[in-house]
Amino acid sequence: MKPEKRKQLFLIGIFLAILLAEGVTHTTMDLMKNQRPVAADLFLQVPSQENLRNYEENLEEGSWLVQNLRPVMQVLRFAVLGDLGKKAVAGREGWLFYDLGIQYLTERSQPVRPGESTPDEVVEAIVSFRDRLAERGIHLLVVPAPGKASVYPEMLTARALNLDHPVNVRTLQLLEQLENEAIELVNLFDLYQSEKNKDSISGPNNLYLIQDTHWSPKGMEMAAEKVANRLQELGWVEKGNTDYGLKEVPLSRHGDVIRMTQIPGIDDWYEPETIQASQVVRKESGEIYADDPHSEILVLGDSFLRIYEHDEPGSGGFVAHLARDLGKPLTSIINDGGASTLVRQELYRKPEMLAGKKVVIWEFVERDIRFGTEGWQDVPLPDANQEI
Amino acid sequence: MVFTSHIFLFYFLPFVLFVYYLLPRGRNFFLLCASYVFYGWWQPWFVFLMFFATWVNYLGGIAITRPGATGRSRKLALTLSVGVSLSLLGFFKYFMFLENNLNDLLALLGSENFSIYVVTLPIGISFYIFQSLSYSVDVYRGESPPVRSFFDFACYVALFPQLIAGPIVRYNTIADQLVERDHTVQKFSSGTALFILGFAKKILLANPMGEIADSVFAANSPATIDAWFGVTAYAFQIYFDFSGYSDMAIGLGRMFGFEFLRNFNAPYLADSITDFWRRWHISLSTFLRDYLYIPLGGNRKGTRRTYLNLAIVMLLGGLWHGASWVFVIWGAYHGALLCFERWRGKESLYNSLPRPVRVAITFVLVLFSWVLFRSPDIQQAFDFFGAMFGVLKPEGGSILLAAELYTRGHLVLMAICAAFAFQPLQAFDWAPTITWKKMVILILLFLVAIMMMFVQAFNPFLYFQF
Repeated sequence: MKPEKRKQLFLIGIFLAILLAEGVTHTTMDLMKNQRPVAADLFLQVPSQENLRNYEENLEEGSWLVQNLRPVMQVLRFAVLGDLGKKAVAGREGWLFYDLGIQYLTERSQPVRPGESTPDEVVEAIVSFRDRLAERGIHLLVVPAPGKASVYPEMLTARALNLDHPVNVRTLQLLEQLENEAIELVNLFDLYQSEKNKDSISGPNNLYLIQDTHWSPKGMEMAAEKVANRLQELGWVEKGNTDYGLKEVPLSRHGDVIRMTQIPGIDDWYEPETIQASQVVRKESGEIYADDPHSEILVLGDSFLRIYEHDEPGSGGFVAHLARDLGKPLTSIINDGGASTLVRQELYRKPEMLAGKKVVIWEFVERDIRFGTEGWQDVPLPDANQEI
Repeated sequence: MVFTSHIFLFYFLPFVLFVYYLLPRGRNFFLLCASYVFYGWWQPWFVFLMFFATWVNYLGGIAITRPGATGRSRKLALTLSVGVSLSLLGFFKYFMFLENNLNDLLALLGSENFSIYVVTLPIGISFYIFQSLSYSVDVYRGESPPVRSFFDFACYVALFPQLIAGPIVRYNTIADQLVERDHTVQKFSSGTALFILGFAKKILLANPMGEIADSVFAANSPATIDAWFGVTAYAFQIYFDFSGYSDMAIGLGRMFGFEFLRNFNAPYLADSITDFWRRWHISLSTFLRDYLYIPLGGNRKGTRRTYLNLAIVMLLGGLWHGASWVFVIWGAYHGALLCFERWRGKESLYNSLPRPVRVAITFVLVLFSWVLFRSPDIQQAFDFFGAMFGVLKPEGGSILLAAELYTRGHLVLMAICAAFAFQPLQAFDWAPTITWKKMVILILLFLVAIMMMFVQAFNPFLYFQF
C-alpha cells in the first residue's frame, strides 16, 4: 500500500470511529441497563415536528459522551480562556454578574427575542393588580429590587468609573410611568445611590454580594427598613408590639453566579465570600422568626426574598427584617425568578393567603421588567368567597 | 437537520455512509430517501413541497426535450416550469413581505389594515428552487442532456450535503456525476478533511463571533468602538459560518463521490468590490451571472444597459437573501459599488494605493454592507451607522457592553479569526493531500470542536434563513 493511501485510510478510520463512538457507547449503556436503546424510540412515535425535536434533545442529553465530556470542556474553556459560560460575566476585582441582568441594561427597549416583555405590559399588569386589590380594600406597595449592575456598574467595567448618568434609564422611566399611574412604590435605586455616595462604602459595607446576584445583608436590611418606613408614612400599617431581636450569624458561601456557570470544581478557583448575616428572633423566647399566615401583610417576591430567609442562616432575609421593623409577623409567597407572574398565579391558587390582608408588598428584580418568567400576565385574584 | 448537531454527526451521517457503501446499486435512490429524511427532520410536511418543485421541473425537462417539440412548445414548457418554481418561491418567501408593505401603504393612505396571512418559510427553499430551475434552463439551452431517471433528478435537487445552504450546484456541473462517479479513498479522505475544517470553523470561530455580534446588534446605541468591534465580529461570523457550511457540504459531497465547485476564495483578501464578488458565495454570483445577467444582455447592449443589468442583478440578489428592505438596500449598495468600479474599468477608486490598504478599504466597505445585512430593519441599520460614526452617543447601560465584549476569550478568538480571514490558504486547497502533520491537526480540531459543540447552545447556520 502506498504511504499516501495509508494516511488517507488512517484519517478516514479515525473519523468514522469518532462518528460511531457515540452511537455505540449510548446503545451499549442502554443495553447494559436492560433498557431499549434510545435510538429505537424514533420508530415508536409519529414523526411530528415536536416529537422529532424532543427525540433529538433526549438523545443528546442522555448521551454518556455529552454528560462526561461537557464538564471537561467547561473546565478547559474556563482555564484557558477565562470563559464563565453564557450566564456569568466577570467584572473587576473578582466581582461576578448575572448575564441576563447586564443584557437588560444594554439592550434596546423593544424586545429582541420572543417572550420578552415591554414596559407597557409591565405597567398594565401592575395597575390591574393594584385595582383588583383595591376592590377588596387591600393596598399594594411595589418594590422593584435594583439589579447588581445598576448599583455597581463600575465593578462590571472600568468604563463606568465616574459615570455621570444612570445605566438603568429604562427602569427609571418605568418607575416614572408607575408613579403617573398613582402606584405606590419604594425607590431603592435612590436609596442605594445615596448610600454609595457616602465615603465609607467599601468591603463589608457593599450593598450587593461580590459573587452573587443578590443584595448583601446590609442592602437587604436597608430595603426592609425603607419599606417599613414607607408603610407607616402611608398609614397602611401600624407598628406592632412583637419584640424582635437580632442574632449575628457569620456565613461563608459561594455566590449563585458561581453555581450558574456549572463549571465543575469552580469553587476551588474562588474564595468563598464571608458575610455577616443576622437572624431575626423573638426577644422573649429566642425563637427564630416564622411567617404568620394570619398576618395583615402579604409579601410577594423572588429570590431577593429567599436569600437569608430560606437559605442559610434562615429567617434572616427581607421578610424577617421587615417583620422586625414593623414589629409584627408577615406572610409571604416566594418564587425564584417568578415575581412577574408566577407569584400572582400561586396566590390565585391559594385563596386563603389573601384572607384578612390589608397590604400586599410586591417585590421583583429589575431585569424581570423585560425577562420575567411567563411575562407580565394579567392574573385575577382568587374568588373572595374561597379566602377563608 | 443541522450538520453541527448531535443527531446528524453521530447517527445520521454514519448510518447513511454505512448503507450507501454497502449498496451495490440504487445509491442515488438511497441518497434521495436520506435527503428527504434530512430535510423533513425540521418540518416533515415541507418535503412534499420540495417533491412538487422537483416534479414540475422534471416534467418541464421532458416537455422541453420531447422528440418533435417545436420551439414554441419548448419555450412554453420552460416558462411553465420556471413560472411555477418562482411562484412557489414568491409565495413562501415574499408573500408576507408584500402583505406588510401593502399594509404600510394603506396606513399611509389612511385606510384600515388587513390581517396578515402568516406563511412559514421552508428552510433552504431559495437554494433548491434555484437548483431545480437551473435544470430546466440548462436543458432548454442544450447545455445538459435531460435526466434519464426521475430519482436521479430528485436526488440532485434534494442532495442533503448542499440542500439547505448551498453551494448552489448547477445541474450542468453535476449531470454526469449523477450517472457515474468515482468513489476513491483520496476523494473520501479529502472530503473528511474538508468536513472537519468546516465543522471547526463553524463551532470554534463562527459561533463565538456570533455571540459578540448578537450582543452589539441588540444593544441600545453602542459606543463607537463597540459598534466597530461588533460588526467586525459579524463579518467573521458570517464568513466562517457560511464558508464552514460550504466546506462541510463539499466535503460530504466528496464522501459520496460528488465533486462540487468551490464557493469561497479568501473573500476578505479582495482588493475591490468586483474582486470581492469573485471570491464570495461564488456559486450564487456565477448563477446570477449565467441565469440573469447574461440573459438580460450582460455587457453586450451598451454601457447604460450594463449598469442597469448589474443593478438589477444585485437588487434581486439582495432580495434573494431575504424578503426585507434591508436586503434590497444591501443589494443596491453592492450594485452601486460594482457599477462605479465598472465605470472605472473594473477598478476601484483606491486602486493606486498599496494592496494592503486596498484590502483594508474593501473590507471596511464590506463591513458597511454587513450592517445592513445584520440589522432587522432600516431604522436600526441607520442607528448602527450612527453609533459607528459617533453620531449617536452611547445611552444608559450600553457602556456596560465592554464587560461582555472584551473578554480574554473573545479577544483571542477575534485575533485567530482575523489571522485566518486575511490569509490566502483556504480549506478547499489544503484538504486534498493528507500528511501525518495535517492528520494530527485535523483529528485534534475535530475532537475539540465536538467537545465545544457539547457546551454550545443550538446554533443553526446563518444561511438557513435564506
